[in-house]
Amino acid sequence: MAELLQYTITGIAVGMVYALIALGFALIWKSSSIANLALGQLVLISSWFTYGMLVQAKFPYWLGFPLTILFALFLGWLIERLTLRPLIAQPILSLITVTLGIAYFLEGVVTFVWPMSVAALPRLFPQEPVHLGPAVVSQEYIWAAVVSLLLFGLLSLFFKYHKMGIAMRATADDQLAIQACGVPVTSVFSTSWMFACVVAAIGGVLISCIGGITYGLVETGLKSFSVVILGGLDSFIGCIIAGPIIGLCENLGGGYLTPLIGPGIKDIIPFIIIIVVMVFKPYGLFGEKRIERI
Amino acid sequence: MDLPCGTRNFDYASDMAVLRTRTHWGLFFLLLVFIFTAPLYWSNYWLSIANLIGITVIAITGLNILIGYCGQLSIGHAGFMAAGAYTTAVLTGKLGIPFLASLLCAGLTAGIIGIVFGLPSVRVKGFYLAITTIAAQFIIIWVINHWTSVTGGFVGMKVAPASIASFSFNTEPRQFYLIMAIAALVVFFAKNLARSRVGRAFIAVRDNDLAAEVMGINLTYYKLLAFFIGCFLAGIAGALFAHWSRFLNAENFTLADSILYIGMVIIGGLGTTIGPILGAVLIRLLQQGIMYITPVLEGTFPTLPAGFTTGIGPMVFGLVIILFLILEPRGIAHRWTLFKAAYRLWPFSY
Repeated sequence: MAELLQYTITGIAVGMVYALIALGFALIWKSSSIANLALGQLVLISSWFTYGMLVQAKFPYWLGFPLTILFALFLGWLIERLTLRPLIAQPILSLITVTLGIAYFLEGVVTFVWPMSVAALPRLFPQEPVHLGPAVVSQEYIWAAVVSLLLFGLLSLFFKYHKMGIAMRATADDQLAIQACGVPVTSVFSTSWMFACVVAAIGGVLISCIGGITYGLVETGLKSFSVVILGGLDSFIGCIIAGPIIGLCENLGGGYLTPLIGPGIKDIIPFIIIIVVMVFKPYGLFGEKRIERI
Repeated sequence: MDLPCGTRNFDYASDMAVLRTRTHWGLFFLLLVFIFTAPLYWSNYWLSIANLIGITVIAITGLNILIGYCGQLSIGHAGFMAAGAYTTAVLTGKLGIPFLASLLCAGLTAGIIGIVFGLPSVRVKGFYLAITTIAAQFIIIWVINHWTSVTGGFVGMKVAPASIASFSFNTEPRQFYLIMAIAALVVFFAKNLARSRVGRAFIAVRDNDLAAEVMGINLTYYKLLAFFIGCFLAGIAGALFAHWSRFLNAENFTLADSILYIGMVIIGGLGTTIGPILGAVLIRLLQQGIMYITPVLEGTFPTLPAGFTTGIGPMVFGLVIILFLILEPRGIAHRWTLFKAAYRLWPFSY
């Protein structure tokens, strides 16, 4: 029983972080319909950057984290400005593959600057575990879930009330119409990329507090694709609901299936979910089914 | 048409022929002579690079049929290659099946796995399909790593060199002939597939699948056929890789390799026959160049960071992919066509 509760809590917490990273994907997809496959690498590089700031440059937290956020903002702007702006109105295949090129490039940058493959962030949260009934959960999970939820709330408010947020939703709805209304669509695109990078950076820091900084962070980013797929590509609410579901499946499945099938089943569950969802409900739980005309 | 002035068509067969003029035939003959006498004057080092290029050309030609002609993005091509490689390794190593039969089986296995993971393509496209094939990549590699009793798991497994009857392809030059013969066959097949009913159906599906369906093209059949052919060739390439490198490990078939294969197709030119060849040659030579130049650079500039050797490769390839997409999305093949046109019209290019 304690086991079940523990898997459930850690699963939901990790799932919240997945949901956060997936939100970054949905942001870009909604505003510019570009599928950002470099998500994992964005998570990886911003976690390493945090490591560089906090451990290698020995900055205090109050300086290190804002610098990371600034770095993520700059990275997002740079990617949009240099690689995606010239490709506006190109076929979808080029848009997807250019993010693959970015992914490859960022991976090279990471191995170039940080050749050690494993590192740990300094302890950000108190160490003593929390007792929730019979389960013992380390505090990082709780904090990760709380921070993700908080950010999620903030972002929803931003989309609801801020001028830029409204512009972003409008761009997602109809690019031509919004251009005619005088909204600079290109700056909406770069803002969405900057937001996505920041969200990926925060998600990366939260995940690397739990599991350390490894190459596995790329897989974390790829796993959040399963959140996007299950939730439906163009739905924010889908992310927040599908995230914990994926986290639960991963942790419960990992916990109970490992003795039956073998170690490592945990890492493959989100990908199996992708295939299953694809075959049976390709537009996800909340996704909008596109009807095409010729 | 890119034919010299004065070349006329008198019947359908001559209109459809790949090689039209005496110059074509002469150049083609020279190319064949050049390729098949190469082992006489190339060292084993260059032959091994040529072998790797030949294997890559086979895999990329398959990927080009899938992406370039049928428009179905697959980011799991290295995974399908792995399926073929391990099939032939197990069949020849553990069951003693002759090489040619196991080569065919490797292709079929990879093709059938390709159909399974291609099934979602019937309902979705674009990004959804990209994600499905990434999932395929991870699932295939996971199965290989954890099915220890058959595949050797993380340790990997040894593979015997290919042999037909009692003739063993155990040296670089012998493997060179085997790989080049199969690569030539595959390129010939791809060239003719593209001009057939099937190829035209693929192109219709790529350009607009709804319109193609309205015109009476069976979408399910042709999309899955594209997955089958593409993955079949990947399986063949994987099997040849297994017998060429003689040692298999899942590390040879990572997601990064899959991305690199897509990069090769784009750099070469999507939807052309010569594109995959150009792309494979360029990227593999670039890899060799980087491998050659990094120790030299590190020797001359000792202050370079420690990650220089491993990091420079992905950075360069990522940059090349991005630059080609922005500056020359039609690939080197397009430049090649322009060059041929300029050559044909010279000196009166107007």
